[in-house]
Amino acid sequence: MIPTRNDRITTSQTAVIIINFILGAGILTLPRISVEKAKTPDVWISVLIGGLLAMFTGIIIVKLSQRFPDKTFFEYSQEIAGEWVGRILSLLIICYFCLTSSLQVRSMAEVTTFYLLEKTPTWAIVMVFLWVALYLVVGGINCLARMLEIILPITVLFFLVVSLMSIKIFEIDHLRPVLGLGWKPVFDGIKPTALAYTGFEIMMILVVYMRQPNKAVKAVVVGISASLIFYLITVVMVIGAFSIDGVVTRTWPTIDLIRSFEITGLLFERFESLLLVLWIMQIFSTFTLAYYSAALGLAQLLKKNIEPFLFGLLPVIYIITMTPKEINGVFALGDFVGNASIFLFGILPLLLLIISRLKVGKHEAKSSS
Amino acid sequence: MESIAPFTDDYLSNLNLIRQEIGQNADVHIREFSFGQTAIRASIIFVDGLSDRDLIDNTILKTLMNDSVAVMVQENSSGDVSGSKEFFINHVLSIHEILECRDVYDLRTKVLTGFTALLIEGAANALLLNTVKVKTRNIDEPVSESLVRGPRVGFTETLSENTALLRRHGENGDLLFLKFQVGERAKKELIIAYMKEIANPALVEEVKNRITKIKIDHVPESGYVEQFIEDNYLSPFPQVQSTERPDRVISALLEGRVAILLDGTPFALIVPVTFSMLLQSPEDYYERWIPSTFIRLLRFFTAFASLLIPALYISFISFHQGLIPTELAISIIGTRQGVPFPALLEALIMEVSIEIMREAGLRLPKPIGPAIGIVGGLIIGQAAVQAGIVSPIMVIVVAVTAISSFAIPSYNLGISLRLIRFLVMFSAAMFGLYGVILFFLLLTSHLVKLKSFGVPYVTPAVPYRLSDWKDFMVRMPLMMMKRRPKMLHTKEPTRKG
Amino acid sequence: MKQSHHRERLLLLTSLSVFLLFLLTGCWSSQDIDKMGMGIGLALDVGNKSNVEKKLEKQGKSPPHVDTITMTYQFINPKATSKESSSAGPQQKAYLNASQTGESILPIIREFSLSHDAPLFSPHLKIIVISEALLRTHRLESLLDLFLRDNEIRPSCLVLVCNGNARHVLETKKPGELPALKLLGIVDNRSRTAKILPPVSLAKLTAKLNSESSFLLQNVAASDKEVKFEGAAVINGKTKKWAGFLNEMDLEGITWITGKGKGGLVRSLDKETGQLIIYEIETMESKITPHVDGNKISFDVHINSKGRLSENWVLNANPFENEFLKRVEKAAELEVRQLVKSVTAKMQKNLHADVAGFGERLRIEYPKTWEKVKKDWDQTFSTVPITYFVKLTMTDFGASGPSK
Repeated sequence: MIPTRNDRITTSQTAVIIINFILGAGILTLPRISVEKAKTPDVWISVLIGGLLAMFTGIIIVKLSQRFPDKTFFEYSQEIAGEWVGRILSLLIICYFCLTSSLQVRSMAEVTTFYLLEKTPTWAIVMVFLWVALYLVVGGINCLARMLEIILPITVLFFLVVSLMSIKIFEIDHLRPVLGLGWKPVFDGIKPTALAYTGFEIMMILVVYMRQPNKAVKAVVVGISASLIFYLITVVMVIGAFSIDGVVTRTWPTIDLIRSFEITGLLFERFESLLLVLWIMQIFSTFTLAYYSAALGLAQLLKKNIEPFLFGLLPVIYIITMTPKEINGVFALGDFVGNASIFLFGILPLLLLIISRLKVGKHEAKSSS
Repeated sequence: MESIAPFTDDYLSNLNLIRQEIGQNADVHIREFSFGQTAIRASIIFVDGLSDRDLIDNTILKTLMNDSVAVMVQENSSGDVSGSKEFFINHVLSIHEILECRDVYDLRTKVLTGFTALLIEGAANALLLNTVKVKTRNIDEPVSESLVRGPRVGFTETLSENTALLRRHGENGDLLFLKFQVGERAKKELIIAYMKEIANPALVEEVKNRITKIKIDHVPESGYVEQFIEDNYLSPFPQVQSTERPDRVISALLEGRVAILLDGTPFALIVPVTFSMLLQSPEDYYERWIPSTFIRLLRFFTAFASLLIPALYISFISFHQGLIPTELAISIIGTRQGVPFPALLEALIMEVSIEIMREAGLRLPKPIGPAIGIVGGLIIGQAAVQAGIVSPIMVIVVAVTAISSFAIPSYNLGISLRLIRFLVMFSAAMFGLYGVILFFLLLTSHLVKLKSFGVPYVTPAVPYRLSDWKDFMVRMPLMMMKRRPKMLHTKEPTRKG
Repeated sequence: MKQSHHRERLLLLTSLSVFLLFLLTGCWSSQDIDKMGMGIGLALDVGNKSNVEKKLEKQGKSPPHVDTITMTYQFINPKATSKESSSAGPQQKAYLNASQTGESILPIIREFSLSHDAPLFSPHLKIIVISEALLRTHRLESLLDLFLRDNEIRPSCLVLVCNGNARHVLETKKPGELPALKLLGIVDNRSRTAKILPPVSLAKLTAKLNSESSFLLQNVAASDKEVKFEGAAVINGKTKKWAGFLNEMDLEGITWITGKGKGGLVRSLDKETGQLIIYEIETMESKITPHVDGNKISFDVHINSKGRLSENWVLNANPFENEFLKRVEKAAELEVRQLVKSVTAKMQKNLHADVAGFGERLRIEYPKTWEKVKKDWDQTFSTVPITYFVKLTMTDFGASGPSK
């Protein structure tokens, strides 16, 4: 199953994929979730530290993957941890990808029904979304990469322009004092912010597909720093507009930020729906990636062609998506996925890396003696 | 089929054979004569109109019926005319191309393309003299692609003329023409043109491959070829570029692309093509880079506009009324008072009627064309508004969209965008902006999957390559565009100089 | 290659047919703009049924409602905005006001559906006016809860208080004028006068309602279908109810303390001649510096402003002489100092509320201290010493020089 050279992706594409996978539905709630925990305006420091942490774990994953340049996680995990443990780990990660993708769709559907299409049933919104996604992923990783490269500049540019427009209601006082209550709240805020960076785990799969796998670290660093800047701007602008007292009361603070101002004299005075639909593209990219990864994992686990799994996973994802009954269920699912990712991508790769090093060390020791 | 009947020594039976085969055609002329004063009989067979009569009268008949020639023939062959063939070819007939043929089928195909057959008593094979009269029209400015600045030269229906145009404009020893024949029943000449030192050999191979796979009776126009060689016949997007302009072909060849010319049509095909190439015009390069860049950006905008504006109108009117500025919303409410239809139907009525008007304007004789413009634009637009069927804003929307779609340099891309526009309108009517964005995603998904001869359709937008971006939305100064497009994997990556 | 095409076709066809299927059943949320009642303004008053309502109720024999709030909704009048009607006949009012009485906001809004064919539609709601009387009895956050929660009403909507009947604010005599948009336009006049507060949108209110600090809302007075921005209402940080009134002069003082003014005038009397001099503000800056010494909190306020001499009634004045300008500056400074002093006294003595942002500065500079005092800040504030330093600079005196 080694991909042909033509089917490989460039380093910049890899970075784009990482950014796209990180920036998903999370950004819509990040300011609230982090402020809820930290309760000070210093959340932006937590965002910074969280990003650095994510970068560190991302690099570990890359180092691990680089030890097996022609295998994805689903294949090399069996090599490191033994066949059965490896399979179980792979299965866990596949489940994780399924859950993430469902979570993305569901958050998208929630926001869409609330702000855009009040009376449209959720199943309709979700279903068309899934269809379009299926049409894309059938094309394979390369089409996916090209698609993401088209989506990213559009969404990022628009998001930045719009959030910078909110400078009108930005008040620097809402961000002060810096470290007024010391470092403790900052550390409290790290967990939710670090979780916002989940997405770099795609490198477990992606390194194989890179034309220059040795540049994977660079891609991760670029990808995570870009997301970091993005998150930083969002958090700063949202808190600057609402102050921490206001942020905690908004369910979707980032959208409300855009709803809170009007620029008169343009073709549009209001940008939230525009931003929202563009952000749907971003969610689409996160979703398709997770969806593809899950299908790829199953295909590699069972050593079969990927396409039947793409088709087969669709109903599964649909069912998971429709499972949470109410919005708090969605947020709970989000928490669950977040906690799972701490184990799967924070601790596990480090363990595997150590084990594989030890194994090689043993092997070398044997051969030398 | 009958068994092949080769010519024999018997002049009369040969002539009969020919009469049987093509003699019943009204336009086939058979002229019998004798060499000078001698008794050696001969005949020429030609098709009226296809062959050059001047040439036949003054060069062939005059020489052959001349006494001195007859004497020379007799002297030279000492009675045996069959051996004098070489003599005829080498000393008598001043025709640039002479072929021999041994059977009547060979003769038939050639004569029907304008050759003149010469049958001489005692000779077992006929001579085919190239008297093909090439009737060409003048080289005009291409109708479908007119420019303000640029050569006023377009291809014609004659293949040799077209290749000559390319040679003249190309002035390059690299330029290679490969001849193919397409059409099973009615054969037509087709030429693949490329630059030997630049074009990617794999690409040329692929083009040859697809050309030889064309299996059809007849290929009347290069559109047939296009439909046979395109990658995905389900796609609404043109995957082959067609042009009437030699300068466009030459610059494409120099980029490393391959051109396909077909006899009988002024439209040459260029492969591979990408989305952004279809939005480019040769003028982009003839004008200075700053206005060119501006115009190019404008074209990208028009592509989006012609696709999305009616859909956006529908979603704003029917779904996201909160998005439009308050003042505008107030005036829209006022103008829509009394319009009985929902926005989708309103848009459909206007869009369909403007498509009808466009089509009608195309078919009408030139003097009536402008009249349709007046009827359509003024009367229908104005009257529809006053009758309360549509709102004035809808008329503006439709007008802007239509004009945008005409501003797209590639005619066939314009058509497909207009077609897709209706689909976007439907999805907008279902899901508002969400539908528009999902349709956009579907369309983009389709585009990223689409390839034209191995080149992804969305290049050079992605993957990000700085050197290809110099000629994408922005047209950088010519001095800065030193490299040929990387996406084409050319043999020679840099432009010389 | 061929196979994948085949599959693609299958996929394409299926998705297309699904799309068509949607078309048959779809358009769930579609509603054309002209079929809706577009609301642009809203006024909340103490429950008081109109005569029509009373009559209708009698006819319907409906059980008595609880009538605590009367809501007046301002719609666009589509007939007046369309072209045909404007050219012929007397001009209609551009708006329609409809009042309804009920217990809380949403039930009232839904009550409208019983008497209006066009569904209410509020993304363009620009302004919410609440009457002072209603605010005395109801918490602001309960009144606004729906608007903050709702997905249609945008957080950019502004909130005003009216010390009379709020519904009168939404009326005008001029045909073609929309009262709600007019109010919005007045808010933009802050570059001309210091007597208008920075606009308070729902977005800004979210934070204010969630903190314990008191704050101001612009007050607007209405009489005889005319409106005027007049002073400000003080909302208590704890009770979230109306707690007092600041008049125009006080408001000017607040603007000086916060330094957030964009323009305005200072009227002062020349010390020597007793004649009027008008100083026009060009820039305004203020810096509130808290000092914490043990348990003692005090504030220094530095106010700086640059401006020009705009109107001068003093005879024999020569602005070319710096001496005269200094004299004018002194007079204006005195005036400003009086303004801020009086409003400070009012805040500390009468209202017992900090509405000028002193607490905010303390929070930023001394977060630890703030944590301790924030619970009872309004009381603490009442006793805090505040020192003002006012410095006005006359940079310009217009086109004319000395007067005779």
